[in-house]
Amino acid sequence: MGYQEIKESLSRKELFKRGITNAQEFAAELSSIDNSDGPKWVMVIDLQKCIGCSACTVACKAENRTPPGISYNIVMKEEHGQFPNVSKVNIPRPCMQCDKPACGEVCPVKATYKMDNGIVAIDYDRCIGCRYCMVACPYGARSYDFGESYEGEMLGFDELQANEYGIAKGKRQKGSNPIGLARKCTFCYHRLQRGEEPACVETCVGDARYFGDINDPNSVVSKMLNTNAARVYRLREYMSTQPRVYYLK
Amino acid sequence: MQTTFEKQLPLETKPVNAARQWIWMGFLIGLLIVGAYAIVTRAVEGLAVTNLSSTTPWGAWIAFYIFFVGLSAGAFLLSTMIYVFGMKNLEKIGREALLTAFLSMILALTFVLLDIGQMGRFWHALVYFNPTSILAYEVRFYTIYMLLLLVELYFAMRPDLVRTAQADNGIRSTIARLASLGSRDLSEAAMERDHKWLKVLGIVGIPIAIFGVHGGTGALFAVVKAHHYWNSAVFPIIFVVSALVSGTALLMALYIIRQKVIGKKPDISMVQGLATIMVGFLMVDWGLQFYEILISVYSRNPHALETFEIMFFGPMWWTFWIVQLLLGAIVPIFLFFKYKHSVKAMLAAAVMVVVGILAVRFNIVVPTQLIPPFESMPGSYYMPNALEIMASAGVISLGLLLYTLGVKYLPVDMSKEQLELLERGE
Repeated sequence: MGYQEIKESLSRKELFKRGITNAQEFAAELSSIDNSDGPKWVMVIDLQKCIGCSACTVACKAENRTPPGISYNIVMKEEHGQFPNVSKVNIPRPCMQCDKPACGEVCPVKATYKMDNGIVAIDYDRCIGCRYCMVACPYGARSYDFGESYEGEMLGFDELQANEYGIAKGKRQKGSNPIGLARKCTFCYHRLQRGEEPACVETCVGDARYFGDINDPNSVVSKMLNTNAARVYRLREYMSTQPRVYYLK
Repeated sequence: MQTTFEKQLPLETKPVNAARQWIWMGFLIGLLIVGAYAIVTRAVEGLAVTNLSSTTPWGAWIAFYIFFVGLSAGAFLLSTMIYVFGMKNLEKIGREALLTAFLSMILALTFVLLDIGQMGRFWHALVYFNPTSILAYEVRFYTIYMLLLLVELYFAMRPDLVRTAQADNGIRSTIARLASLGSRDLSEAAMERDHKWLKVLGIVGIPIAIFGVHGGTGALFAVVKAHHYWNSAVFPIIFVVSALVSGTALLMALYIIRQKVIGKKPDISMVQGLATIMVGFLMVDWGLQFYEILISVYSRNPHALETFEIMFFGPMWWTFWIVQLLLGAIVPIFLFFKYKHSVKAMLAAAVMVVVGILAVRFNIVVPTQLIPPFESMPGSYYMPNALEIMASAGVISLGLLLYTLGVKYLPVDMSKEQLELLERGE
């Protein structure tokens, strides 16, 4: 029986029969069930539609309130060919949320791990800030939080931090998470929990970014990847990290 | 009682010049204060006070960390040549090798502690485990290895600890009484047992040092496929060989300097023995490095080529050509073949080799990180800033201070009785 079926079939009466009397125990019971047939989030970026405006980068910074020097998403502007046969391509680069994440492999304390929903998460309560993951990531998708702040130019920046991974973090102050730790794009997990798309996807001016569940054959992303198979590629596939961000060239 | 104590003073050397000793200690304590200021600043302000960045996350402290792990592994492996493979002509520095190995590990781990983002969480590394992380295994190997070194050090010093404890020699005796753990046995059988233990622990320690501690530290880098320069199977082997080079060189330098300080003539045959080992491994090390570079260049991997471009022709080109190649290899090898009989020349060679290997460690850690993961991403430049250098100087002076106190208050030198036993055994 899958996660969804169990969740639906569990009536209050059955819960009592199992001796589960409160919500916490219910949650524990649910999380003990294999969630492998739950959603698996992927992102598809159509490079033909990307105009390189970096609105995604801006939306990401606003949503995740990242400090100076940290940007979960960037847009790489590459030039190909030699004059006069030149072309320019904009490649937005969030975290690739790899299926075989190099960062998670090397983490000495397992603070970085792959969630069932496909997102590579960082446990801010466990990370020690050794930065091995940053050295190991082939995509340069990770940043170290040096504790810098926009407080000087943006009053109240330190008053509130984004609730990354759906966990409230309160004020940004010395010695508190995630200062002194590794950080990266979370696919806006806290927005997904509310049923919203990641901020970069929502804001994209050219509608170049798509987001959805690859386990659902009827999702937009599944259909896009199927119908545009010849255009699909992923960054540095030879690294065998199996990224979950797909590009349409 | 006083007379017997005089007799039992190890090696019957003339006392160390008190003024010079105070100048040395004052110098170390001064550096320690400078370092303490830097370390406190770093602890309060975080890594923002360093020149590290998200593009170059590892810098000088990681280079020092692998440098000292290398010194430790090298010094330990040298001690096994004595206690396991029975190279009696080196036995005089056996204890010193073990002490150096232990203190080097302390320094290496201090550098790591300085480098981790939230220092208060260092214990997570021992409590949590990730089976795919080389670093997770390394932390455990370091712990086992340091315990092993302590036990070996105990057995190596035990007879002289017992002797010093029985003599009435103030603080030295008190320390010896505590460190001897109640042992009073000076019989032949007990000493044979010591040697047996040293041999067993040495045999257990060899694979731990080669594959665990230092080969593992090399593998820590070698498994990172994002950095083509590190990602090669010969990398861990180079780590081990260069560890042997630097460990031997350091012990040679320490031995010569300390003999001069206590006013004794260094044993030239032993110095030459050490120099032969050092130069032998140095040549193997460069042979391996040559192939490492050759294979990387043939791969035409742009990341690897750019790394070499930075290393050979970048702003820090001289660390490779002058420090690593000229001072770290060519001059010492020349000195070895030309002035083997001069203790001074051998001391110079040893010091140059140690400094050369330090440059090797910096060039392992830094250049490859200066290249951005994608061409269109901003690159970075890294040089340790004053604060990082101050903290490093402080940590190193802590090591030298512990070493100075160690050789002063512990029977690191063999007593006359032990030396006689050693000679009789030959």
